[in-house]
Amino acid sequence: MGAIDRINPVAAAVYFLAAAGIAMFSMNPVILSLSLSGAVCFFFIKSRSTGIKSHLYSLLLFIVMALINPFVNHNGVTVLFIMNDNPITLEALIYGIAASAMIISVLYWFRSFTEIMTSDKLLYIFGRLSPKLALILSMALRFVPMFGNQLYKTEQAQKAAGLYKEDNIADTFKGKTDIFSIIITWGLENGIITADSMTARGYGCARRTSFSLFRWRKGDFIFLAITAALFAASLWGTMAADFAYYPAIAFSEADYRTVTGFTSYGLLVFLPSIFEIKEALRWKYLKSKI
Amino acid sequence: MEIFKIENLNFTYPLCKEKAVSNISFSVNEGEFITICGATGSGKSTLLRLLKKELSPLGEKSGAILFCGKDIEQWEQRDSASLIGFVMQKPEQQIVTDKVWHELAFGLENLGIPAETIRSRTAEMASYFGIEKWFEKSTSALSGGQKQLLNLASVMVMQPKVLILDEPTAQLDPIAASEFISTLKKLNSELGLTVIIAEHRLEDVIPVSDRLMVMEKGAVTGFDTPSEVIAALSGESIVLNAMPASARLFHKLSGNGKCPLDIREGREFIRNNYHNRMRTLNKEEYIHNKEKALSFSEVFFRYERNSPDVLDGLNLDIYKNEVYCILGGNGSGKTTALCAAADLIKIYSGKITVFGKEIRKYRNQTLYNECVAMLPQDVQTMFLRNTVGEELKNAAEAVKLLPVSIEHLYDKHPYDLSGGEQQLVALAKVLSTKPKLLLMDEPAKGLDANARLGLVKVIHKLKAEGITVVIVTHDPEFSAMCADRCGLFFRGNIVSEGTPTEFFSQNSFYTTAGIRMTKGYYENAVTVDDIAALCHENGRKDGKA
Repeated sequence: MGAIDRINPVAAAVYFLAAAGIAMFSMNPVILSLSLSGAVCFFFIKSRSTGIKSHLYSLLLFIVMALINPFVNHNGVTVLFIMNDNPITLEALIYGIAASAMIISVLYWFRSFTEIMTSDKLLYIFGRLSPKLALILSMALRFVPMFGNQLYKTEQAQKAAGLYKEDNIADTFKGKTDIFSIIITWGLENGIITADSMTARGYGCARRTSFSLFRWRKGDFIFLAITAALFAASLWGTMAADFAYYPAIAFSEADYRTVTGFTSYGLLVFLPSIFEIKEALRWKYLKSKI
Repeated sequence: MEIFKIENLNFTYPLCKEKAVSNISFSVNEGEFITICGATGSGKSTLLRLLKKELSPLGEKSGAILFCGKDIEQWEQRDSASLIGFVMQKPEQQIVTDKVWHELAFGLENLGIPAETIRSRTAEMASYFGIEKWFEKSTSALSGGQKQLLNLASVMVMQPKVLILDEPTAQLDPIAASEFISTLKKLNSELGLTVIIAEHRLEDVIPVSDRLMVMEKGAVTGFDTPSEVIAALSGESIVLNAMPASARLFHKLSGNGKCPLDIREGREFIRNNYHNRMRTLNKEEYIHNKEKALSFSEVFFRYERNSPDVLDGLNLDIYKNEVYCILGGNGSGKTTALCAAADLIKIYSGKITVFGKEIRKYRNQTLYNECVAMLPQDVQTMFLRNTVGEELKNAAEAVKLLPVSIEHLYDKHPYDLSGGEQQLVALAKVLSTKPKLLLMDEPAKGLDANARLGLVKVIHKLKAEGITVVIVTHDPEFSAMCADRCGLFFRGNIVSEGTPTEFFSQNSFYTTAGIRMTKGYYENAVTVDDIAALCHENGRKDGKA
């Protein structure tokens, strides 16, 4: 459990939307490189257990996507070389790198997001929107493992009772479909008991409230406020920073507004990493005192 | 104060001629603990469901049900939902949501109670029931006993005045069941909660009940303190089989005075009334067959690479035409051993031999062809068809092996049968593969006392047909009735074994009620029949016949 896991899910979701949202709609290379480094850095801190393999895949994806653009897009004035009578340009290559940086960074933001947002937290967020939807999701989440377990048990029981004893593919296939069909019956049959249990506990007799273990703490509001402020500042700043890839790379001069924008976004993307590191250091300090 | 008052209640299901509940009148006082017993189909469940408006079955109803002086139909839905708590039989299917804390909150959410109140009430309930440790767990990760406790807690969180339970312990093992009953007793005595419970395992619940109601064919045939009711039962009554061992003994010996209800009272009853000049009963010695039917030798198994061994060097020999009962606690590896014998799981070391041939050498499912069959714990998993008739299409011979006829069930859906009937149909289906070795996992679970006795007969008959039967069970009484030999499983291995008489006489805790009642007085009285025989031999202290 890190610092981010304890933040109210709504605040955390807002944060991810803000951080990934700006990266999604901006093609400014400064923003994109900040987003990519921030996202990768946070993911590394958050899940050290993830194997190096999955990062290598991302790297491969990055390279492939970056290289595709110059081969299909021939805009730009700086020709690097000619291939099959088509010019391969530097601008198209840089655009390709920028675009794949965007995709990979958003991918990493969402990887961290799914890691942090457990089913409870998602339900909590949906519960804010509609208590009924939250209940349906919760029941579905309960039903899936129950269904799977029953399927496994039936499969085993039937095997030992000699369902597949002909031992050919047609027989096996028929057996499996029989099992699947009875499992559906079983699900409906048991649904009746669940429905009884729900009415017995007053389902549908009043307007439902939605309870959750999560609550708003002071820290969550502060986190949300910082996120909102940094988001607004980076939006305002990056709007002023023009950047064109075609026909030639061109960008506006840096002024206080764009610098503010970039700095705010930099702070925004590294915010959770800073929190995590701060927490890790605090524990280390406490431990050394013990 | 009367919490429930039932007057001339009649109920008939649609398309049925006979009344499911006929002419019942009684009242329940606040704070009472009431047990309802009766055979399957005697109308217990119907009566209980009629007491809770939301669960009332459809049908023709007459008479009045007053809850706290007001007709049950006139209560606001909101109030009747929270004031009358209802817990059903199947632990798994009553759970609605995916997380324990959410399940506890579910009822309160329905009533539209604000989140802060829910927080404090669920917290209070969780600490009272000791659920704190698994508060954030998924409901699918709980054991059966925990699930049923959660169902109880999530009803209690709505602060009911009366708790109605319909066979809540039928699907639990004996230890979880008696824990559940003692939780009920605690709620009853600490909070003054009124409890109305229908049960068919009465051993634990009778000593804590204030009044016992006996139902037969929809009518109440007795309603008084347990000892009065039991003493008044006739010797042939089918309800008697479900009674605690001491009460059954009292009946067998046609005792007079107060009927003993638990082990302590049973001991006193025997000591006060009967001599013990002859302490042991002569029993035939059991000699097993020379040939082995099933043999485990140094078998190891674990579910995951890093998990501990579930079968830890298991050595076990079961001989031909023998009924062998494997007893043991939850998680001791009993069921795993059975699955290994049916080749449903792969052991990583050791050897399992079935009729002299190693299990791995049975290729292409030949193991399941006229050799080994297994009856799983959840017999519902045995059914694939829409009617019993289709299910047993190829099982005409097997059906004849059963001691009772099941042909009248052929048009029904297997799921509509009672637990005992389902067990018989599943058994017939298993026997249709003509197994020589039958493995049964907890066959007595969820059966009422008479169905259990019926099952004992089936097992005796199978033995007479030459079939070897291996039974995994929690139930000492059941294994004492049907086994040739018993073995105690502990941490993946057999730690003691012997004939039921040897096995249960040497145990002090994990043993039958018969042994516990006569410990230190008689030597080898395992069952109630044994005690009765010894008592007859010794004669009464007051000299009467």
